[in-house]
Amino acid sequence: MRKYLFIYKSELMSNLQYVFNVFAGFIGYFILMVIFLNLWKYVYSNPDEIINGYSMNQMIWYVIVTEILWSSLSGRSFCNKISEDVRSGNIAYNINKPYNYILYSLMSHLGSRTICFIMYVIFGMLVGFIFLGSFPTLSILSIIAVLISSIFAFIISTLLITFIGLFSFVIEDSAPFYWVYSKLILVLGTIFPIEYFPKFIRPILTFSPIYVVSYGPAKLFVDFSWNNFIFIFIAQIIYIIIAYMLCFVTYKKGVKKLNVNGG
Amino acid sequence: MAIIKVKNLSKTFKVKLKEKGLKGSLKSIVKPRYKTIHAVKNISFEVDKGEMIAFIGPNGAGKSTTIKMLTGILYPDKGDIKVLDINPKYERKTLAYNIGTVFGQKEQLWTHLTPYDNFKFFGAIYDIPESRVESKIKELSMLFELEEFINTPVRNLSLGQRIRCEIVASLIHEPKILFLDEPTIGLDPVVKGNIRTLIKRMNKEFKTTIFLTSHDVSDIEKLCKRVIIINNGKIVLDDDMTNLKYNYLNKKIVEAKMKEKVNLDDEDGITIIKDKGYNLKIEVDTKKRSVADAIKLLNPDNIIDINISNVPLEEIISSIYKERDVK
Repeated sequence: MRKYLFIYKSELMSNLQYVFNVFAGFIGYFILMVIFLNLWKYVYSNPDEIINGYSMNQMIWYVIVTEILWSSLSGRSFCNKISEDVRSGNIAYNINKPYNYILYSLMSHLGSRTICFIMYVIFGMLVGFIFLGSFPTLSILSIIAVLISSIFAFIISTLLITFIGLFSFVIEDSAPFYWVYSKLILVLGTIFPIEYFPKFIRPILTFSPIYVVSYGPAKLFVDFSWNNFIFIFIAQIIYIIIAYMLCFVTYKKGVKKLNVNGG
Repeated sequence: MAIIKVKNLSKTFKVKLKEKGLKGSLKSIVKPRYKTIHAVKNISFEVDKGEMIAFIGPNGAGKSTTIKMLTGILYPDKGDIKVLDINPKYERKTLAYNIGTVFGQKEQLWTHLTPYDNFKFFGAIYDIPESRVESKIKELSMLFELEEFINTPVRNLSLGQRIRCEIVASLIHEPKILFLDEPTIGLDPVVKGNIRTLIKRMNKEFKTTIFLTSHDVSDIEKLCKRVIIINNGKIVLDDDMTNLKYNYLNKKIVEAKMKEKVNLDDEDGITIIKDKGYNLKIEVDTKKRSVADAIKLLNPDNIIDINISNVPLEEIISSIYKERDVK
């Protein structure tokens, strides 16, 4: 375990110099929030109205949280990195090191995004507070529970993107798969909670990754209940196991037929 | 005692073929065609403990493929490999703890971190206790003279300094074998010499077996006692450096500055390389003619200055590549 903590720590230290790059991302994030604030203000005729179980403030906080999770993930560049590693054969240089490649890329990605995640949380909370004037009521324990759920969401997203990246072993470019995945998350998981969708789609969404990578933590933040937490927590554990297994099998099969450029 | 045993090793690659233009691209999607490349063909050799061996060959000869199979990166198609009695195909992880690798063209260090942090990282990766890592870093940084820049981020180091750090990073876990794949690529002659001295010192101090691939003949000449030459996936020569020189150094280059012009023609055993009237450069095949014969032909009284030298090793090796290729 010590080696994986070191991988995390080394990546974290390495990324400290990119702190200022995060600020550029804040601009896009802020514009998006202004759009949603106006959109929901338009949809909700008065702020106390409840639509599909959500007040206007809850809806805005929901988007703030899902966008924090999505923006700080930087999934596209991570997917490209894995995919490029596979295509160029660079992945080979990780094979003869005594660590598990999947856990290596997981810890390294978590390490590289930690600072960004913290900064997005601070910025997102600030934006929410400025727009809405208050935070959702949460106890210290429930804040910790939301944080745990967010970290798990981050882990699952990273593993799923690793899986998509590793697809380059099978087809040369995994970018189209990532494109589909990111658009599904954006439309079905970031903007609207599951309750906004027609009844017949809801079970599909509940069993899809959207429930654990996006909806879960945001739902807990805007409308916390321990029942929900336990349900989401179990679903996340199951998803971590499934996503890890998918990565592991693809990687195991892939390296057997690895070609390395230049030899 | 042999610590690397390779027997009848082969590896083929399947490469996708693509015809020219858009039509060709579309065709390759519908009906892909593949070409099989035999990168390594049935090679066998052994390396003893503590040996410094040069594994050389032209580009695309199969040397990197072989090194990657020995280190567990690539799976062989056929044949047996035993490195420290470990089969790289099945026990990659166990092997990883016992060998070190430096690929000159691929950096393994974290560029934003200092060498010191990098060494700590590699120590953790190889499960070495913290206190042991510290003492190892101290020992190696003294041996490789890193004290001056051990706390400077790797991205700010010169190429020579970086390669030294790369080698140290691969030695933190005290590997029994070190695989060096073109470690001096892109370095200037002074730095190259420096790295060579350090590699030699390391081999002497730690008795580490060194498996080296390089395009630089002077690397091989100065470091290794034994050389394996691979071309087109086959071993074309496996011999002692001294034998190689002895067998192939039967040609001498005679350069002479003359008082008067000499009219000399190619004869059996003598080839004129350059004739500028007063300056002559000839190659003497000592199997057919002695150097003394050649000097007699020039007339010793007519010689102002003379230089007799061996054919450069570089030329010998490229002639081996060509010669065996024709066969």
